[in-house]
Amino acid sequence: MDSLNLIREFLDGRLGIPPQQVVPDAALGTLGVDSLMMLELVFECEDRFGVTLDKRLNSPNTVGELVALVDRLRSEQN
Amino acid sequence: MTQRRVAITGLGLVSPFGGNLADFFARLLTGESAVRFLQTNDLPRPLNMPFVDCAGFDAEATLGRPLAGTLGRFAQLGVAAAFSAWDDAGLPRKPQNDERDDWGVAWGSALGGVLAFDKGYRDLWQNGRERLSPLSIVLGMNNAANAQISIQLGLGGISTCHSVACSSSAIAIGEAFRRVRDGQAPVMLAGGSEAPQAYAVARAWEALRVMASADEQRAARCCRPFAAGRSGMVLGEGGAALVLEDWDHAIARGASIHGELVGYGTTCDHSHLVRPAVAGQVRAIRAALADGQLAPADIDYINAHGTATPEGDPVEIAACREVFGNVGSGPAVSATKSMHGHLLGAAGALEAIITVLALGGKVIPPTAHLDPLDPACAGVDHVTTARHGQPLRAALSSSFAFGGSNAVLAFRAVTS
Repeated sequence: MDSLNLIREFLDGRLGIPPQQVVPDAALGTLGVDSLMMLELVFECEDRFGVTLDKRLNSPNTVGELVALVDRLRSEQN
Repeated sequence: MTQRRVAITGLGLVSPFGGNLADFFARLLTGESAVRFLQTNDLPRPLNMPFVDCAGFDAEATLGRPLAGTLGRFAQLGVAAAFSAWDDAGLPRKPQNDERDDWGVAWGSALGGVLAFDKGYRDLWQNGRERLSPLSIVLGMNNAANAQISIQLGLGGISTCHSVACSSSAIAIGEAFRRVRDGQAPVMLAGGSEAPQAYAVARAWEALRVMASADEQRAARCCRPFAAGRSGMVLGEGGAALVLEDWDHAIARGASIHGELVGYGTTCDHSHLVRPAVAGQVRAIRAALADGQLAPADIDYINAHGTATPEGDPVEIAACREVFGNVGSGPAVSATKSMHGHLLGAAGALEAIITVLALGGKVIPPTAHLDPLDPACAGVDHVTTARHGQPLRAALSSSFAFGGSNAVLAFRAVTS
């Protein structure tokens, strides 16, 4: 599964956000992802892809920023 | 300070029968038991015991997926019960302005979010996981239910969780009552919720040798308060909530009033952690009566703590006899745990609701399966089948917890 689809699946499953709204330009906060749910989303990405997001990184603001971050870590891992 | 009268304007619960409040009470009146035999498929150690669960409760359907997903089972049951009571009170979910800045929540739970940590131990020790979901803390914290109730209903005053074993929600209701009566809050949401089906919790209760033992066929009839040969209590999950409201506030907005909360007494036996004492219970009953300016002769019904343990039941009956005298002069007594089980920290709230419905409906629910009576529990007017058409004036609901923490609530019927 690619990173965008994982995020879509998570937001649909946890918050009932329709996948078509989860596009790269969408702001995570506007979608309803608060700081707690952001932690859970990061945890899910780490868990599913076996990557670790550095705690010191700035929290991504948009879906696209999170996708890019996770994709970069996944490629570094490979 | 001028004391306010305290109206009960909302009642709500999550019913183990799956229906609404009216359905729940109607079933109790017929003596129907919600106890079933719980068998989990947990490996390597499944739970097998008589239990009362709310199998028909669909948290996502009731609360919505985003809210349900951030709550543990006890908080899901609690928020659902609170919503139900709030709706029953005719109050909108969202505040219109800042009118609710001093409205509050007093909740009760003995175990709180223990299931979140139960899952954590399984994940770490059994399932080979290296870390836990960051949501675990908010799922497990014991003030999760009251905090989320305050958030959802926009209540800006006190928000607290009382953890006093099996008196938790009775004490929550009592403390909330005092806030409304003293004029500190025009509205308080009070109640409790519990989800005790954690493996170590259930086995710990079994180790105390106070749990009713029964197989699948006998489970429904195994909780027998005051009966000869009773073997103990049955754990249950659930949530129950009451809206307590300044009487004038309720009248001004045209609310329906289910009953009046008039007295609260709480004491400690200060003698033993698990062996109850007559003297401490008598003091609690008398304190509730005095607080409500009631004489023993004013009380027509007592919803007893009645857990069906061999040790506890005779002590409670002895306390009733000391306050009210022998059968013939005293109030009717029943223990509805025979049907809905022991909800631990939520028990006091569930039984307070039953007591209010009894007063309002002029009907007394029975102690189910009370045959034959244990002679050690004789001497009060035991109700073994529902009594309809009773001119009930006032009633008590008793909670006598481990730790010797006693709480008694006194209610009056609304006279029109």
